Amino acid sequence: MSSPSAALPPTATSRRTKLSSFRLTRQTRNGLLFVSPWLIGFALFFAYPFFATVYYSFTNFSGVGAAHWVGLQNYRNLLHDGLFWTSLYNTGFYTVFELPLSTLVALGLALLLNMDVRGRSIYRTIFYIPSIVPIVASCMIFVWIFNPATGIVNDALNDIHVSGPGWFFSTFWSKPSLILLGLWGVGQPMVIYLAGLQSIPAELYEVAALDGANAWARLRNITLPMLSPVILFNVILQLVACFSYFTQAQVIEGSNVGGPGTSTWFYVQYLYEQAFQFLKLGYSSAMAFILFVISAIVMVILFRSSSRWVYYASEN
Amino acid sequence: MTTVNSNASRPRLLAGIAGKHAALLLAAVILGFPLLWMVLTSLKSNVQALAVPPVVIPNPILFSNYPDMLNAVSFYRYILNTLMYAAVTIVGVGISSSLVAYGFSRLQWPGRDFLFKVMVSTLLIPFFATLIPLFVMYKKFHMVGWYLPLMVPTFLGSSIFSTFLLRQFFMTIPQSVSDAARMDGANEFRIYSRIILPMSKPALATVILFQFVYCWNDYLGPLVYINNQNWYPLSLGLDQVLGTYTTNWPWVMAAATTATVPIIVLFFFAQRTFISGIAIQGTGDKG
Repeated sequence: MSSPSAALPPTATSRRTKLSSFRLTRQTRNGLLFVSPWLIGFALFFAYPFFATVYYSFTNFSGVGAAHWVGLQNYRNLLHDGLFWTSLYNTGFYTVFELPLSTLVALGLALLLNMDVRGRSIYRTIFYIPSIVPIVASCMIFVWIFNPATGIVNDALNDIHVSGPGWFFSTFWSKPSLILLGLWGVGQPMVIYLAGLQSIPAELYEVAALDGANAWARLRNITLPMLSPVILFNVILQLVACFSYFTQAQVIEGSNVGGPGTSTWFYVQYLYEQAFQFLKLGYSSAMAFILFVISAIVMVILFRSSSRWVYYASEN
Repeated sequence: MTTVNSNASRPRLLAGIAGKHAALLLAAVILGFPLLWMVLTSLKSNVQALAVPPVVIPNPILFSNYPDMLNAVSFYRYILNTLMYAAVTIVGVGISSSLVAYGFSRLQWPGRDFLFKVMVSTLLIPFFATLIPLFVMYKKFHMVGWYLPLMVPTFLGSSIFSTFLLRQFFMTIPQSVSDAARMDGANEFRIYSRIILPMSKPALATVILFQFVYCWNDYLGPLVYINNQNWYPLSLGLDQVLGTYTTNWPWVMAAATTATVPIIVLFFFAQRTFISGIAIQGTGDKG
């Protein structure tokens, strides 16, 4: 390289970098302008209240007046609060059963709908509609059909000489009844699974059939691995919903909130009551922060484990 | 090996088809029954609803439960409140989510993908982790008691689902469309409002539909912020019906039916929009 030609390129590149950095800032400015509604919303309705929750949790704040720093007092009190543990247990119980059962039911229904039979779209409609019924309406329906004395379910059980339980009015059956209500509305994950099933290339099944793979082997070795990213997605959504399980229990137990006994006190219901009935905002903020920590830990475990069971076709 | 299949005897094949239908039918009966029973109960007299053994088909069919219930409860008002809540937030979500989605898909800038990940990950944070300071904040601004705390955030990109869905759609529009407009000297806002938005009507329809269903359903938001019964939305009105009329199940079921039918009608008119909207959400592509 001679010195003149070596001297020329730098000016050219510097001009180009100048130009591209100018374009960069303009693009960046435009990009930030377009996303600015969310950025403002994020700061105002998410970041600020999140840090405020952490701060309140160390105070005795009651909503009026000043918040006094009490250190770990709220957390210590929670450790000795029986209802805190009960509500945590109830939420855990609901999650542990609802999560796998709803996954199985949604997946099962999607597999049924994915079969090549007539009237599929009618079945799909019937399976999906319960999930768009307004939640309060679906609670009303279940309270009615599972009414221990006059509901149709116990009437039917009577006919086969089984005396039906108290369902929502029994400390043993109240949570299983809520789980049944949850299973009735699995239409959304079902539709997502169905879309996932339909995107699996048919060749995979043809090749497997040539190799003599039976239905079970095809399900295990093709369907489930191909569907695993969608399963992960649905499990995440379900988990978020389970941790904040509130509306159905609140509506169904009505004035006897948390009942019968303490069998349907769910975590965020107790949090809500502490905050809005007793104005113990510091105490409930501590509960909110604990909820955040628990769900963060569960999410991290889920994502860590996902590399072992989620298969991304594009990587292979 | 394929011959194994074709050699399967005809009865076995028929049994397979019958089995599939039996399974589908069984699931349909179980899942469809609660809604059927809701409608049937809403057309019975109270005596008939409680009769043992149960009366399946109402006799006579009693439509009067509907006007009676609608007169006893301020149902129209609840529905109007809900429609107002939905209308305002649909505007908010339509404007802010499409702007944000545009910034996250049609423009290249450093930090974009990072911020997008931050946005999506906020979906994983429990609603209750931020609720208490938000309530205190709205209280301070005298916004508690009416729908403002539920409306204002929608103008600031709070519907992450909508933003995500619109972004997925915007990404399918070829970049050359924007480049051509830029050549003609159009600025980004003009490209957004005059080219990209008009091309995205199906995605916008999905967003509007889901926002409507969300408002029709929303219980927790109004429970926290709406304390004046005159401003109750449908969900809180229904809750009150359940709490007040447990001795009159036909009325309760008439209320549930009144709340459910509009959503089901909407579903039949916009079935494709519903299904594809959920599929995009789950699989990331237009299902």
